[in-house]
Amino acid sequence: MKKMQISMGKKKIIEAYIFMLPFIIGIVAFFAFPLFVSIKLSFGKVIDMSGFKIKWIGFDNYIRAFVTDVQFIPMFLRIVRESLLKLPLILVFSLMLAMFISNDIKFKAFFRIAFFLPFLLGTGYVMQQIIGQGINEQVLMQAKNIFIPEKILAYLGPNVDEAVNSFFGVIVTVLWSCGVQILLFLSSLQGISKSLYESAKVDGATQWEMFWKITLPMISPVMLLNIIYTLLDSFTDISNPILSYIQDYAFTRTDFAYAAAIGWIYFIFIMILILVIFMIMKNHLYSFDMKEETKNGKSR
Amino acid sequence: MVKVVNMIYGNLKNGFLSSSLRIKHNRLESISRVFNHIPHKLYRIALYILLFSIAFVFLYPFLYVFITSLKTYRDINDFTVNWIPRSIKYQNYIFAIRILGYFKYITNSVLLTVIGTLGHLIACSFIGYGFARYKFPGKNILFFIVILSIIVPIQTLIVPLYMTFSNYGWVNTYLPILVPTFFGFGLRGGLFIFIFRQFYTGFPKELEDAAKIDGCGFLRTYWSIVLPVARSVFWVVIVLSMVWHWNDFYEPSIYINKMALTVLPARLQTLVNYVNNPQGDIFFGMLLEEGEDTINNAVLMAGTFLIIFPILMAFGFIQKKFMQGIERTGLVE
Repeated sequence: MKKMQISMGKKKIIEAYIFMLPFIIGIVAFFAFPLFVSIKLSFGKVIDMSGFKIKWIGFDNYIRAFVTDVQFIPMFLRIVRESLLKLPLILVFSLMLAMFISNDIKFKAFFRIAFFLPFLLGTGYVMQQIIGQGINEQVLMQAKNIFIPEKILAYLGPNVDEAVNSFFGVIVTVLWSCGVQILLFLSSLQGISKSLYESAKVDGATQWEMFWKITLPMISPVMLLNIIYTLLDSFTDISNPILSYIQDYAFTRTDFAYAAAIGWIYFIFIMILILVIFMIMKNHLYSFDMKEETKNGKSR
Repeated sequence: MVKVVNMIYGNLKNGFLSSSLRIKHNRLESISRVFNHIPHKLYRIALYILLFSIAFVFLYPFLYVFITSLKTYRDINDFTVNWIPRSIKYQNYIFAIRILGYFKYITNSVLLTVIGTLGHLIACSFIGYGFARYKFPGKNILFFIVILSIIVPIQTLIVPLYMTFSNYGWVNTYLPILVPTFFGFGLRGGLFIFIFRQFYTGFPKELEDAAKIDGCGFLRTYWSIVLPVARSVFWVVIVLSMVWHWNDFYEPSIYINKMALTVLPARLQTLVNYVNNPQGDIFFGMLLEEGEDTINNAVLMAGTFLIIFPILMAFGFIQKKFMQGIERTGLVE
C-alpha cells in the first residue's frame, strides 16, 4: 500500500482553505450574487418585475444621476462636505481627549467609560430621537451663554442665534461620535515607550516638539485606521440622506435600477476617497520595520 | 542686641559678596520652584474641570433621558424644573412598557443580538486567523473582498439581497440577519475579520509551533491554544457587535413584516405615533393627566430609556474586560 504523500506546502494551503471555507461559502451565498446583480442593475432597466428581467441600457442611469436628477448631486456634495468637515474635528477632539486621559490622572476609568458611553446609543433610531429632541443643542446652551452673552445674540437677531445653536449642536454630536476613536488613540498612546520622551527631554525638547516629533509619528497607523473608520461611519450612517434617497428609489418608487446606480456612484466615491487618503498617508506612516527594530533593541 | 543684628547682617552681606553666584542661583531656583508649582497645580485643576465638563457632555443624553422619563406633565412644561422633578411619576414606565410591548419584544432583540454576536465571534475569529497565519493563492483577492464588504453600503445591495433571501425562503424570519454572521458577513462582519486578523498578526507564533511539534493538529491548535489566549480581543468584538446588533433596525425593517418578530428599536416608532396622535384607548385615557390629550414626552423618554437599558447593563458587566481588551489587543500595531 502506498501512503499518500502530501508535501508540507500543499498541506499548509489546504489548512488555509479550511480556515477560509466559511468566508468563501459566505461570498457565494450572500455576497457575490447580490453584488453582481446590483452592478448589472445599475447598467440596466427592469423590464419584467415578476421575473426580474434586466435589459442592458448602458450608462443611462449614471448619466441620469449626473445630468437629469437635480436633487442627487447637490445632496451628494453636501454629504461629502459635511463628512469631510467633521473628520478633522473628530480626529482632533478624540486625540486631545485621549491624550488628556492617557497620562496618570485620577478617575481615569470613569472618563474612559464616560467617553465611550454615547457609542451605546449607536446611530440608530434612539440616537435620532435624542437629536430630534434637540438634546445635543441643549447641552451647550449653558456654555453658549458663558461665551457669548445673551444680549449680543438678542441684538444680532434670531438667525445668528439659531446658527450658533446648531453649531454647538454639531460640536456635541461630533463629540458623541468620538467613542471608538478615543479608545483606539488611547491604546496606541499607551503603547509608546516612556523612554522616548525621557531621552527627548534630556536633549531639551519642549512638549510641543515632542508631540510633533514623537507622539504623532508613533500613532500614525492608528490615525489612518481612525480616518478610515470615521469616514465609513459617517458615510454608512443610517440617518445619512443619500442612503435614504437610495432607499426611497428602491422601495417607494421601485426604480431598482436607478437606486443601484446611485448606490454605486456613492460607493465608488467612498472607495476613491479612502484610496487617496491611504496613498497620502502611506508615505508618512511610521513603518513596521522601524518598530521591529525598537522592539529588538528593548529586549537586548 | 545691636551686635547680633550687625553680625547677622554682616554674615548675610558677606554671604552675598563671597558667594553671590551660588545664592543667586539658589534664589532663582526657589523662585522658579514656586512658579513651577503654582501653574502646575492650576493646570491640574483646570484640566479636571475641563475633563469633567466634557464628561458631562457625554453623559448628558443618558441623564436627560432618565430624568425626563420621571417627570410629570406639569414639570415638563415648566422651564424652571430642570434637573430635579417636583414629583416622580414612575407611571410613565408603565405606559411605555405597555405601548412598546416591552417584555414581548425584548426577547426578539436579545435573541437577535446574542446569536448575531455569537456568529461573528465564531466565524470572524476563525477566518481572521486564517488570514493572519497562512499564505495561499487568492489571499489578496479574498482580503480585498473583506474590505469591499466593509465599504459597500448595505443599501446598495439590499434589493438583490432581498431577492436572494426570498429565494431561500427566509423572508419574515431572522435568518437573513443571523445566518450571514456565521460566515463572516452580516452587520459589519468584515470589520471583525479585520480586527481578528490584526490581533493574530501581532501575536507570537512560538506557542502554536510548540503545539504542532507535540503533534497537535491545526484545528486543535486553533481551538485549545489560540482561542484561550485571544480572549481579550473577544471582549472588544463582543461589545461592538452587540451594540450594533441591538441598535440595528434597518435590516429587520426590510426583511421582517411580521408584527410578532419586530425588534425593540423599531417599536419606538409606535411610541412616537402615540405621542403625536390622540388614541381612543380607555386605558390611556385613565392615565392621562389634566390638560393632556396625548401621552407626553416623558413617556417617550421612558421608552427610550427602557430600550437602551439592557445594553447599558450588559456593557456595565463587561466594560472592565472590554477596556483591558482594547489595551491589549494590539489592534493598533
